Amino acid sequence: MAEFEPVLLAQVGKADSHTLRVYEAAGGYAALRRTLATLQPAEVVTLVKESALRGRGGAGFPTGLKWTFLPKDHPGPIYFCLNADESEPGTFNNRVLMEDDPHQVLEGLILSSYATRTTTAYIYLRYEYPRARERLQAAIDECYAAGYLGRNVLGSGYALDVYLHQGAAAYICGEETGLIESLEGRRAWPRIKPPFPAVEGLFRKPTVVNNVETVACVKQIAARGAEWFKSIGTPADPRDPRDPGSYGPKLYCLSGHVARPGCYEAPLGITARQLIDEFGGGVWKGRRVKAVVPGGISMGLLSADELDCPLDFSGPGRYGCLGLGTAAVIVLDETVAIVDFLHNTARFFAHESCGQCTPCREGTAWALRMLERIRAGRGRWRDLELLREIADSIGIIPGTTICGLADGAAWPLKNAMDKFRDELQDYVRRTNPGGYRQTEPAVAAQPAGPGLAVHGPRCEAGGHATEFRES
Amino acid sequence: MSKVLVDGQEIEIGAHERLNGIQAAARAGIEIPHYCWHPGLSVVASCRMCLVETGRRDAATGEISMVPKLVPACQTPAAPGTVFVTNSAKVAAARALVEEDLLLRHPIDCPICDKAGECLLQDYHFKYGQAERRADIKPFTSRRRPVGGTVTLFVDRCVMCTRCVRFTREITGTHELMIVNRGSQEEIDVFPGYPLANKLSGNVVDICPVGALGDTEFLYRQRVWFLKRHAGVCAGCATGCSIHVEENQDRIYRLKPRENPHVNRWWMCDEGRYGFQHVHSPRRVAGPRRRVGARWEELPWSSLPDQLDADLRRAGRLAVVFSPHLTVEEAYLLAGYARAIDPAALLVLGPVPRVGRDETFPGGFTIRAEKCPNRRGVQEIVSRLAPEQVELAQLPELIAAQSIQGLWVSGGYKTDWHDESWAAALAEVPLLVVQDLFESPLWDRATYQLPGAAFAERDGSYVSATDRLQSFRWAVRPPAQVLPEGPLLWRLSGRHGLYRASQVLAEVAREHAYFAAAAEGVPEVGVDLKVQLLAPV
Amino acid sequence: MAAERILTAEMIAEIEAYLRRYPTRQAVTLPALHVVHHHLRHVPLQAVVEVAEFLELSPAQVQDTLSFYGFFKQAAPHGRTRAWVCRSLSCALRGGEEILQHLCGRLGLEPGGTTRDGRLTLEAAECLGACELAPCLLAGQRLHGNLTPAAAEGLLESLGPSRGQAG
Repeated sequence: MAEFEPVLLAQVGKADSHTLRVYEAAGGYAALRRTLATLQPAEVVTLVKESALRGRGGAGFPTGLKWTFLPKDHPGPIYFCLNADESEPGTFNNRVLMEDDPHQVLEGLILSSYATRTTTAYIYLRYEYPRARERLQAAIDECYAAGYLGRNVLGSGYALDVYLHQGAAAYICGEETGLIESLEGRRAWPRIKPPFPAVEGLFRKPTVVNNVETVACVKQIAARGAEWFKSIGTPADPRDPRDPGSYGPKLYCLSGHVARPGCYEAPLGITARQLIDEFGGGVWKGRRVKAVVPGGISMGLLSADELDCPLDFSGPGRYGCLGLGTAAVIVLDETVAIVDFLHNTARFFAHESCGQCTPCREGTAWALRMLERIRAGRGRWRDLELLREIADSIGIIPGTTICGLADGAAWPLKNAMDKFRDELQDYVRRTNPGGYRQTEPAVAAQPAGPGLAVHGPRCEAGGHATEFRES
Repeated sequence: MSKVLVDGQEIEIGAHERLNGIQAAARAGIEIPHYCWHPGLSVVASCRMCLVETGRRDAATGEISMVPKLVPACQTPAAPGTVFVTNSAKVAAARALVEEDLLLRHPIDCPICDKAGECLLQDYHFKYGQAERRADIKPFTSRRRPVGGTVTLFVDRCVMCTRCVRFTREITGTHELMIVNRGSQEEIDVFPGYPLANKLSGNVVDICPVGALGDTEFLYRQRVWFLKRHAGVCAGCATGCSIHVEENQDRIYRLKPRENPHVNRWWMCDEGRYGFQHVHSPRRVAGPRRRVGARWEELPWSSLPDQLDADLRRAGRLAVVFSPHLTVEEAYLLAGYARAIDPAALLVLGPVPRVGRDETFPGGFTIRAEKCPNRRGVQEIVSRLAPEQVELAQLPELIAAQSIQGLWVSGGYKTDWHDESWAAALAEVPLLVVQDLFESPLWDRATYQLPGAAFAERDGSYVSATDRLQSFRWAVRPPAQVLPEGPLLWRLSGRHGLYRASQVLAEVAREHAYFAAAAEGVPEVGVDLKVQLLAPV
Repeated sequence: MAAERILTAEMIAEIEAYLRRYPTRQAVTLPALHVVHHHLRHVPLQAVVEVAEFLELSPAQVQDTLSFYGFFKQAAPHGRTRAWVCRSLSCALRGGEEILQHLCGRLGLEPGGTTRDGRLTLEAAECLGACELAPCLLAGQRLHGNLTPAAAEGLLESLGPSRGQAG
């Protein structure tokens, strides 16, 4: 695995890798040239479908398939939004690509725009990436000057404009319809679906939203072929007709308690253990692993004995995690208290919840309040039950929210309850010896129905069960 | 027609109907609780209270396959073959959790909140909520924030359904209300210096499902469970919005719009909404009087009609000025009565108050410049019987030429409606009968002063600017000394028993082609009179 | 009472240049707010009114958008240097919280606060996307990584008025 020759990161590290001169010298834009000359847009879509490329932004949806959802023979305009709002904690691979190889991203963007008959592409770039902004804008200017963008790309007759659109520090702008709302000038409240962006998206026109690394893969597929792409990664499970496989190279972001944090390229499917040991130099300071985040904090946690989990689109799910997500692997060593991990993630999600739908807006805030109270030494067993209940009830998977932020907020709680329950219960008991037991048994939510029950469950200490506590 | 299944019940959906799950369930008599959905606003599916289970029934095999996740009923079309399940444990649990979520940070304000008794948060809590409060916040009371002249916002009671914000964006196009901040910090607010001040502002109070938005005028004035609600029609302008008059012990506390898909849909304007204070004004004239020389003679209603009738028959040429505030039935009776005494009596349409121009809002709602409810209906009655159409402006000279000896003027306007010189000109007639709500220059010169009824005190019908006739019954009794126009004219016309407006309307419909559509009774949403007209009038 | 205009001709020209990129004026909201914020280091209410006027929106619509993002200051300009200290997981695992607390203590500020001399604003940031350099800090346009509390403090000292850049 460690011998894999980087493709996406091939240019990164070279002097002036971000300039057109260096990019073209290495063969850059040859793929664009050839594609425009020999393939129709629909044929490019077919090529990407054949490659079985799946989106690298977190959802892993087959990219070619997504492109086919655009209405045929639409008079236009069709829009492309490049999602460069990378905000999932632990994730920085898009930043690396944009800073050190912006032209690979642009070539992939132009190819993707051509395939989808896009007329205008917006790069929604988060505010926190000033260097990426600088380099991308310079690269865009170079492209216009060289004829890779504008009214007549390379004389092919295809016209494309690319604009940078700067974000303002909101995680939810990384959700595709949240991004669209933000681009349109409103608060980034994700839209209900249907309609899906491919049918009615930006400015109510057909729109494709793709991740930075995804379009970089499109460039590589155009340059090297679908066969090449499928020769890398984890093939589809022959026993599962619905498994599209996990093909191609992947950028893994490794951070946290490792010796060598960084962005590493490997075929999809290396294990967490391989990534940490062979790329990351192992756990830092000679310590042991306690838990590993497999793909950005939204995906939850792998425990120390789950490190042989393959990091592809189906692996983490088999270990109870939400999925591969952004493939941002964060290592927690043995000194980390799981309650601190939960507090950090709960704070993030409460801060970033857009507030539109009730279960997420209230659930994430409630979870944070409880975790703050637990950390302050006033936790109760029932809080752990409540956290579990919140985690099980919010998200697009049960159908109770509009977007997947709630699922991301829920998963760390779910995994922590399942895999570190003893530690959490122990923590609560230790830090709140006088009050960790509230009532017994912990009562799950029961609809009251007609005839509202006036009295709650009997309380041990003789007080009323529903004590109002300061949050 | 297609079939949709709701909790096992089959519902028919018309081919041209576009219903969502909430509406389909309502047709089956099943309530799907919801906050953010409103039939007049865009669908946002953000409150998540209407979550149900859904699936499809195979048309051929009848087999039902359900979708594993919950979906909002408000955004699920009731397409042919759709199956809705609203009574499962999964749905009940989801509702209970949303209720709990909304109550987590909700102030404990019920005892001081106007919305109590008509609050969806309360209602749904009783029906679908949890018995035990698990929130971890100390009880607190809501902050109060004025957002405009007529609306008060109790910030912390808000459940972020965004109906009010969408109203100002989609219906009025005025965009005053906004959401500020993100996540659980979100609040409703207005931009400083740009208050909620459009002509339909009061509607946001109606659509707020909780007590966050309140009518400043109505605040703390009455508990809603004491209010009795009567279907009525607004008398503020020629749009003729369907309304509810809500009163207690004959005092009107508020007017609310009544849903009417043909007229106002779910809305009414502020001028109409708050335009009832005159009904209880202390300036309302009391006690009928007759001028005798320099004195005033108080006349009881028992003897006044005979006295008045005698004086009118002795007078000579009669003229009647019809207020556009009269109902169709009253105008008909008055015209008939005058013509019975003097077959050549002049019938004249009175002053029609107009302010500004018709105003139509982006959502389609229209406020009319004509600030009276029944010019259309009264004009039809008058012009049928008096095709020679004497203009109001001709009246003073006709009086000066001594062609008129008896004049009946019907008022009923909310504000001053004429000046001294006009009153003086009309008062030249030997016998002047004035029926009105307030004192005025004309009233002061009358021979007979007859206190009249306000709009909510009478039975009858109005015809709007779009030729829609709506009928209504009285909502409050008039002040003690008032005999409304209808009963008075009924008696003067020699009819016996209690005044029955519906009987009069049936007569009108038989005699006048314009009103023919009202012959068989009038439904709650009124009737379009144009339906029966085959040729332009 | 007419308020004094805040948007300069230069700012308006910058905002105007964005109009051709989008089919609606409302889409220029975020770019316009960034322009104003870049020049004034905050977006006062009067500026919101003027931006709204220019974009043919109501002030409430612009304020709605502005307040959603924690990024824009309104009450007062941020310091000449705006220092964002990351507190998300990867940085927290390597001392990010300690750095933030240390700086708050030294500067006498809560996150979001500005020093009295107007030199520096300290902010708590969510993941800055530089986790390989955790713990990190974004000061103006430059990212600094692998910090310790002392190094962070020294870094901010060195960003005097002449070197600090508006956000």
